[in-house]
Amino acid sequence: MSEHLSARQADPVASGAIVPAVAPHAQPALSDDTRLAVEIRGLVERGEMDEARDRFAGLVVAHQRRAVRIAYQYLRDAAEADEAVQDAFVKVFSHIGSYREAWPFEVWFTRILINGCLDRRKARMRRERWFAPAEDVEAQSTAARANGPDPEAQLLAAEQRSRLTAAIDRLDGRQRTVFMLCHFGDCTPREVSAMTGLNESTVRVHLFRAARKLRGLLGGAP
Amino acid sequence: MPWSRHLGDARLHDCYFAARTGEAADPLAADHLAECSRCAARYRDLAAFLDGVHADVLAETDAVFTPERLAAQQHQIARRLDLLGHAARVITFPGRLAGDAAPPARAGAAVVSSRWLAASAAAGLFVGAVVGSMYDFGVRTPQSAPAVATAARPAPQPPATTAPPASLARPVSVSSDDEAFLSQIELALGGPRTRELQPFDAMTPRVQEISTRLR
Repeated sequence: MSEHLSARQADPVASGAIVPAVAPHAQPALSDDTRLAVEIRGLVERGEMDEARDRFAGLVVAHQRRAVRIAYQYLRDAAEADEAVQDAFVKVFSHIGSYREAWPFEVWFTRILINGCLDRRKARMRRERWFAPAEDVEAQSTAARANGPDPEAQLLAAEQRSRLTAAIDRLDGRQRTVFMLCHFGDCTPREVSAMTGLNESTVRVHLFRAARKLRGLLGGAP
Repeated sequence: MPWSRHLGDARLHDCYFAARTGEAADPLAADHLAECSRCAARYRDLAAFLDGVHADVLAETDAVFTPERLAAQQHQIARRLDLLGHAARVITFPGRLAGDAAPPARAGAAVVSSRWLAASAAAGLFVGAVVGSMYDFGVRTPQSAPAVATAARPAPQPPATTAPPASLARPVSVSSDDEAFLSQIELALGGPRTRELQPFDAMTPRVQEISTRLR
């Protein structure tokens, strides 16, 4: 984990990579999941692995839906997003000893998840350079969904989603990361600031610019 | 006191996020929004757009990651966590097929004979390498090089005075051998020489073609 982060120190979030902020924001009180993560860390340190695994299942349930949403928006491939989320949870559990409650658990977990997603994107781009592309699975699944009760409405919705995806892909790295974390990951600008190391006001500016650009690209008032 | 100027897009966006995340909104901006119908309309437009984007993404993800799939994922994560502490298992390579079980009395003999086989193969390799390094394949007697030519062509031998010296003849014969060998390689790489394989070769795309097409 630390190698990944240090490798991206040169330009922290230009490519959307997540790096630790210089100083975490002071948290008034520990959130429930942060408290649970601290308890799990204690259990692991005492060697009570079965109990730790049982408690960790609670964290998985609490963060899974948000995690798949973020991973799917990054990777646009269900199987790969599935694996990325699994990897992130396994990595979190195996490195829980290094977790410090100065960071909210959500921030720590999201950083691990997004770094994993970025690595997968990079690996995929490398693969696509060397191998001929496979069949368009997304198009097939869209066609399959169109065989439902109201094919026309579903096709329209799918088309709208693909336009949205294309527009999000046209955002630059920082804007995309900030926008996705706030809108799809339900993070506050303060949390995004802690995840990315960007100033909170910079996060707000990126967020606003991303929204303005998206409105322009999707045909609304910019 | 409300602002006389209208709110900028960035402030509207801040108001939207404050409302969504439950943070405290800027009181001046909130007051202005409450009193200015134009800004309120702009705010509603912005909120409708961003809520629409959010709803689209939620619907898409929920369609892909159904509750069953999420449950399967939880199960998979739990399984991987169970395996975390355990060392990886090493599966032994099958010595023989399950059907042809050798009698126990012969098992020891089979192991010994296979060891002898391995030892003799290694010794053979070693001897071959040593002999190969000591023997200079490039050294040929002047008669040995044209021996094949004389067998094919029964022309009378030229007098010894006109024959090239050994030091000149040797490089010529080596380079012609090399050239023949390289031309054989080029022929082999150019396509299969077996007639039956040529249609398959014609159907198989070349790497260069694919990469050009992809670009």
